Amino acid sequence: MASGMDKSAEPAKAQEGTFQGFLRATELDTRLLGMIGALILISVCFHLAGIWRTGNGIFLSPRNLWILLVQTSSIAVMTTGMVLIIVMRHIDLSVGSLLGVIAVIMGYAQVYVLGPWLGVGHPAIWILTILIGLSAGALLGGFHGYLIAYAGIPSFIVTLGGLIVWRGAAWAVIRGETVAPMDERFELLGGGPLDASIKATGSWVIGLVVCLVVVLAIYLGRKSRQKFNFPLRPMWAEIFLGGIGCAVTLGTVLLVNSYYFPPKLANEYAERYNIPIPEDGFLLSKGFAIPVLIAAAAAIIMTFVATRTRFGRYVYAIGGNPEAAELAGINTKRITLLMFGIMGVLAAVSACISSARLNAASNALGQFDELYVIAATVIGGTSLAGGVGTIYGAILGALVMQSLQSGMTLLNFDSAYKDMAVGSVLVFAVWLDQLYRRRSN
Amino acid sequence: MFKASIAAVSGALLLGAMAMPALAKDKTIAVSWKTFQEERWKTDEAAIKAAVLAGGNKYVSTDAQGSAEKQAKDIEGLITQKVDVIVIVAYDSDAILPSIKAARDAGIKTMAYDVQFEDPSALYITFDNIGVGRLMAKEVQKVKPAGNYAFIKGDKGDPNATFLFKGIMEVLGDAIKAGKIKNSCETFTDGWKPDNAQKNMEQCLTSTGNKIDAVVSENDGMASGVVAALKAQGMDGSVAVSGQDGDLAAINRVALGTQTVSVWKDATQLGKAAGEMANKIADGTAIDKLPGVTKFNLGKKGVEMNSILLAPTVITKDSLDVAIKAGHITKEKACAGVKAGSVKACG
Repeated sequence: MASGMDKSAEPAKAQEGTFQGFLRATELDTRLLGMIGALILISVCFHLAGIWRTGNGIFLSPRNLWILLVQTSSIAVMTTGMVLIIVMRHIDLSVGSLLGVIAVIMGYAQVYVLGPWLGVGHPAIWILTILIGLSAGALLGGFHGYLIAYAGIPSFIVTLGGLIVWRGAAWAVIRGETVAPMDERFELLGGGPLDASIKATGSWVIGLVVCLVVVLAIYLGRKSRQKFNFPLRPMWAEIFLGGIGCAVTLGTVLLVNSYYFPPKLANEYAERYNIPIPEDGFLLSKGFAIPVLIAAAAAIIMTFVATRTRFGRYVYAIGGNPEAAELAGINTKRITLLMFGIMGVLAAVSACISSARLNAASNALGQFDELYVIAATVIGGTSLAGGVGTIYGAILGALVMQSLQSGMTLLNFDSAYKDMAVGSVLVFAVWLDQLYRRRSN
Repeated sequence: MFKASIAAVSGALLLGAMAMPALAKDKTIAVSWKTFQEERWKTDEAAIKAAVLAGGNKYVSTDAQGSAEKQAKDIEGLITQKVDVIVIVAYDSDAILPSIKAARDAGIKTMAYDVQFEDPSALYITFDNIGVGRLMAKEVQKVKPAGNYAFIKGDKGDPNATFLFKGIMEVLGDAIKAGKIKNSCETFTDGWKPDNAQKNMEQCLTSTGNKIDAVVSENDGMASGVVAALKAQGMDGSVAVSGQDGDLAAINRVALGTQTVSVWKDATQLGKAAGEMANKIADGTAIDKLPGVTKFNLGKKGVEMNSILLAPTVITKDSLDVAIKAGHITKEKACAGVKAGSVKACG
């Protein structure tokens, strides 16, 4: 069927409309555009619904969007790994439970071990805690990977077992008690306290750096295409892409900078750093929250790993055809073990964000997160059949899900309807994706 | 098979009788536990046992290990042993009923401990669960008699969440009607999860522009999420927050002033009361003549039962030492991070 269509592809090029021409020139992923369109549609609908119900729209306010980013970050970090797991034709059902047990281990370590040992508030506590958490994540995830790759147990079963075992272990570590409060520096990872976001100046610096990197990447990409005699994008398309990249980045900076701390906290900050408080009140921008920066870093690193390293290419090769990959000399077992190890580390990063945000570690933390992570990944266009999936898509998927949930909460929807809506969107998104795939074949 | 078990049990009884000749005229109180897998029942058992022994009676117990069948056999065995009172923590409140009838026919008194089964001959002893909701609302209302309230309810699938809310509304309903209190946000929380409660509270603060004076959270875990959300807005400590369970972290929050109240159901208190009542029943006091007995008919089938509903303990800044004295929490844990002199119990 595909080869029959291919023949008609050439003449079609001549008669394509301006939109197709635009897509071809910019090489943008139409599915990505679809996701962004959906996200904008959802936001605008919620905003208008808010205006209609209460007279003022809240959804598109800087405050709500800022919180939305923070609320998404824990799930977003885990989706960056889940994409690659699903691309490899595996699944990890245990991430929520892993998050729970690691959060509890870190909570126990900082409150009952490191605190009394080094003295509460010691500056090394948070670093040691994170190290403990990340190693626990690598260890537990790697253990799953070992069972899957070398013992030959299907990943569905291993991680289903893990889902149950680690939730039980989380209870056993502290006998169901909630450990609180967390170390003061550790708490910054959650984005709650005064110092947990980088304020206006820091955000501008990050925004400009990202902007420069985008422009540089486009420039270097064009040069290397020239070198290998690959077809080039038209100049206007390059400028357009660079412009859009910068506009989105700086727009986000502007957004997070226009959410201000409540006056009480702003004054506290001014007092601490001896900033004179002006007559009409001191406005202190929040800027990017630390968990959002962590999620962005995870996304960038994982995208790099997936697209620019041998490991990443092997992952996609295995997902495309495991037998062929093995016959081509790829050590699929080692790659599987490593991938689940990475997933464990990412679950640990999410555990840091979640427990720091709550300022407490309880064994209920992360419950059902595996479902949200998998749903976000699938909404983001990752195929459960393996071989296909992008990290930015999965993060957009996570944003779509969180937008739906928080939008409906803002409108005081009953949680039963929230669940129904989120579940339906999952199925609908996959259906759309199937339609798209069939048409593009 | 029934005969065989009678033979076996009477053999055991014989052994027991030989071992305890000195206490021959004393009564035997038996407890049929549903499981010892959950930690809390150990606390209950220690309290019941201590009360029974203090009354000069004998304590025996069986563990149903989480099986309704095993529990039926356990009770059959206790009946054949001719114990005087059987205290039952039912694993299945319907499947237990034939066993209760068998005990009644044998002239043995029964007590439903914490878990209700609906048999009018039994005494039902538990904490007043509707009262928990009332107590939470009362304590919050004491601090903020008027203003904007947020209600963070538990999981929508758990009848307890609605049950608690009934008690809360009994207290606040009039003030809401009178317009003194405004119901600004009301939301269920999936799975009673603290992180969901935090998200719901953040949305509530966003939609009201931080105009919230009090939060009635239905348990302590969710209160931790609520306080985290308030803290991010610099509002922790100035907004009244409720909770229940007597979580150690929540008691610390009460001491720090970020949570107003934690309603605590003290298993030791319930166990002690049950042991003392069992002693009285064994001595021949009729169930409806026991001190503190009231009629209760709010079960599934609406059967009217004699019941003792204990008032839970209210833990606030002023009554913090109750939990410390009861050995529920150490003073260091309760008072961690508390400024000297700000809370009486912390010194």
